[in-house]
Amino acid sequence: MIRSMARSLVALAMALGLAGRVGAEELNLFAWSEYVPQTVLDGFTKETGIQVNYETYASNEEMLAKLVSGAASYDLIQPSEYVIEALVKENGLVPLDHAKLPNLKNIGKEYWDQPHDPELKYSVPYMQGTVGIVINTDKVKDPITGYGDVFQDKYKGRIVILDDSLEIVTWAMAMNGHGPDQVTKANLEQAKPILVKWLPLVKVYDSDSPKTALLNGDVDLGVVWSGEAAILIKEAPGKFKYVLPKEGAHMFIDNLAIPKGAPHVDAAHKFIDYILRPDVSRKISEEFPYTNPNIEARKLLTPEERANEASYPPGNPKLSTFRDIGPLAADVDKMVTDLKAKSGP
Amino acid sequence: MQAQAAPAPAAAASQRQPGRAGWLLLAPLILWSFAFVVAPAALMLVYSFAHRGALGGVDFSLGLTLENFAGVFDPVYLQIVIRSIWYAAITTAICLAMGYPVAYLIGRASEKWRNALLMTVMVPFWTSFLIRTYAWVTILKSQGLLNSLAIQFGLITEPFEMLYTPGAVVLGLVYTFLPFMILPIYSSVEKLEGSLVEAALDLGAGPVRAFSRVIVPLTAPGIAAGVLLVFVPALGIYAVNDIMGGGRVDMIGNIIENQFKTARNWPFGAALGTTLLFAFAVIYWWVNRRARQVEGGGASVRPGIT
Amino acid sequence: MKLVQRLLAGWTGFVLLFFYLPIAVLILFSFNESRLNIVWTGFTLDWYRSLWTDTVLVRALKNSLIVAVATTALSLLLGTTGAWLLYRYRYRAASLLETLAFLPMIVPEVILGVSLLILFVTIGLQLGYTTIVISHVTFCFPFVMAAVQARLAGLDPALEEAALDLGATPLQAFTKVLIPYLMPAIVSGGLMSFTLSLDELIVTYFTASAGTRTLPLEIFGRVKKGLDPSLNAISTVFIVFTVFALLATEVVRRRNP
Repeated sequence: MIRSMARSLVALAMALGLAGRVGAEELNLFAWSEYVPQTVLDGFTKETGIQVNYETYASNEEMLAKLVSGAASYDLIQPSEYVIEALVKENGLVPLDHAKLPNLKNIGKEYWDQPHDPELKYSVPYMQGTVGIVINTDKVKDPITGYGDVFQDKYKGRIVILDDSLEIVTWAMAMNGHGPDQVTKANLEQAKPILVKWLPLVKVYDSDSPKTALLNGDVDLGVVWSGEAAILIKEAPGKFKYVLPKEGAHMFIDNLAIPKGAPHVDAAHKFIDYILRPDVSRKISEEFPYTNPNIEARKLLTPEERANEASYPPGNPKLSTFRDIGPLAADVDKMVTDLKAKSGP
Repeated sequence: MQAQAAPAPAAAASQRQPGRAGWLLLAPLILWSFAFVVAPAALMLVYSFAHRGALGGVDFSLGLTLENFAGVFDPVYLQIVIRSIWYAAITTAICLAMGYPVAYLIGRASEKWRNALLMTVMVPFWTSFLIRTYAWVTILKSQGLLNSLAIQFGLITEPFEMLYTPGAVVLGLVYTFLPFMILPIYSSVEKLEGSLVEAALDLGAGPVRAFSRVIVPLTAPGIAAGVLLVFVPALGIYAVNDIMGGGRVDMIGNIIENQFKTARNWPFGAALGTTLLFAFAVIYWWVNRRARQVEGGGASVRPGIT
Repeated sequence: MKLVQRLLAGWTGFVLLFFYLPIAVLILFSFNESRLNIVWTGFTLDWYRSLWTDTVLVRALKNSLIVAVATTALSLLLGTTGAWLLYRYRYRAASLLETLAFLPMIVPEVILGVSLLILFVTIGLQLGYTTIVISHVTFCFPFVMAAVQARLAGLDPALEEAALDLGATPLQAFTKVLIPYLMPAIVSGGLMSFTLSLDELIVTYFTASAGTRTLPLEIFGRVKKGLDPSLNAISTVFIVFTVFALLATEVVRRRNP
């Protein structure tokens, strides 16, 4: 009796010890809402036994707000490129151990050399997209090639644009030949009169779901995320067209990165490597028709998916990423707020 | 116009000095207020003097600054503050006009109907705000329910633009806040003694006078509560106006939210919040104090009783 | 005053129509075939079927309900006792205390969220149900307090005195005279608290953890991909369930007068 008791006690202790370790095998993922399919998470847990705690946010700054407030320790975050730049500057990220990421080689060459994280020391591209022009071809018959074509008086009250002051300002700057990496007070002043002309023509500002106004027929064209355009193209084939503005378009890259202080750095690496597998990455593309930076995954896509011009814009468009503009973000916000208020109802 | 048909001031006489029991019982409320109201407000105040952090947040390494408060009074933001006050006021007025009759009916209904009616009023608001608001978009859009019906019945030939207008914003705001006007007024109406109303009518007062001279003053506490519970939160609104107004009707709530998001300028957001808070606190405290003084330290501290 | 009665009833009917119009659309669209749920494309029951397997959404609803019930209970306690104490006793700091209590109503939600999060982090309180409920109660209890205070204004103190004279203990006077008198305000405040808590977003974003996500957090998260009709379906299920529960209690109540 004593022996069996002792045996069960040992077993219990071992189980607890193991449980202690298994319990510690968690991953705190803080990512964009609806950007990581549940099937992908479940697959990861099945393979590795690591439980994923998935918290979500709807914008980069929302993520930063909670991160900076010192909330729960996250193992993985999903910042856009300009936020990666800011985080690296502030030493907020854990450098990646490439030895633990054998699948990193699947990422396309062009992503290894971006200004926000050359050599991918701190981040791994998750999905890429653009901000461009979407057109309801049933209503808009004229050729649209750039911002200038969109913001014409004849489209007054029929335009939707993102409710993002930085985006809006860079489009105006592009008209003057300034790229998004040239945000300065002077260039902003130059962009101002363009915005004064443009904003009264806008019917809807919407960063969350610009597709709504387009599908509802309340607007006929707009400047929106490529993902939104891709969804529209999928939903109403032949009706919508996506065009990258000739003056220059914003290319955004959402990445996975490990914030300083992450408790499960190892598990985080495992997850990143898992995401980099072509079959897994392909599943993500299925749910979110953005541009997949994983070249091997692209080979697994269907012809329709590859043909979706919003996901994979043809040609050699002029693309640039955003840079971290630091304190100028406040000036940009103030300028757009002011012009919006003055042009609104 | 002062109409006092109820023995309100008598309450003043029975107010006691709080003994130890009085303070002890109040302790939880005081503690809660200090922990979860004063502390956050104090934090907000401190943040308003800080510099903005590189990733958001605040940076005290450069010391303190007053530039955030200076920024609050910039005409860019003042125009939005005025607009917010305007929309909040219109919303409150419409809610009062629309809600009072409903609150009156429910309050005077027989006991078996009252709670059922209240539930009927509230149940729609237990659905997700976002889906409700998008339902309004579906109803009001150019190809939506209302326009389609109107065109069907030949009332109009072209779709009428209802959505993404100030009117749509007001509609959305009224929709959101109407229950919060009805509920407080209801509980004031409920205690009206039928005999009082009848007496007023018997004594020759027409229904309009009976209403304005007797009923309204008696339900004044409820009205005041309703106005408070609609106007104040309406000032901080950001989501309804964003969707219904097509993002074109920014209010002070949106501006403050922006500071914690795209602008990454927390100290400025904090300064705006502090100013708003301070303005409200001062006005409320002063009105409250005055009401108490007039009542002779009475319990009825709702503005409107005086 | 038959005419007045009829007018009031008519107006109330109109207001209820106003309240339920988007709800009718919401319910209708829960059968919408289109995933994007923006334009009606056809009828289907698929979204209701999907609720069986959408554990995330159902758990979110459960979390929302747990939080809302706890919030309402605490808010009622705090708000009612606060209102009554301020009525009963002449505190010197009365105006100050009241102003403090109503402050959360004016503090913008994002600020309240951030500052409460920082507070919780500072005192080492882990994010979860507790932190969410605390934050909700903080801005809900003022609603209860306002409703109860309004009801107390004009309370005939003779009522309580009479009860005491007739031999009731102070506690009995409180529970048998005051609480019943306050009931409409308590119901009023409770309904407001419940409603506010159920649909709260920003403050909850800052004070929730991965395991305690509420329904609004889930729903708002799905905007970008498209608010598919399963969200309408779960809202409809909840409404239908509530209506049934209310009808059931009414039937039971009338059976036992």
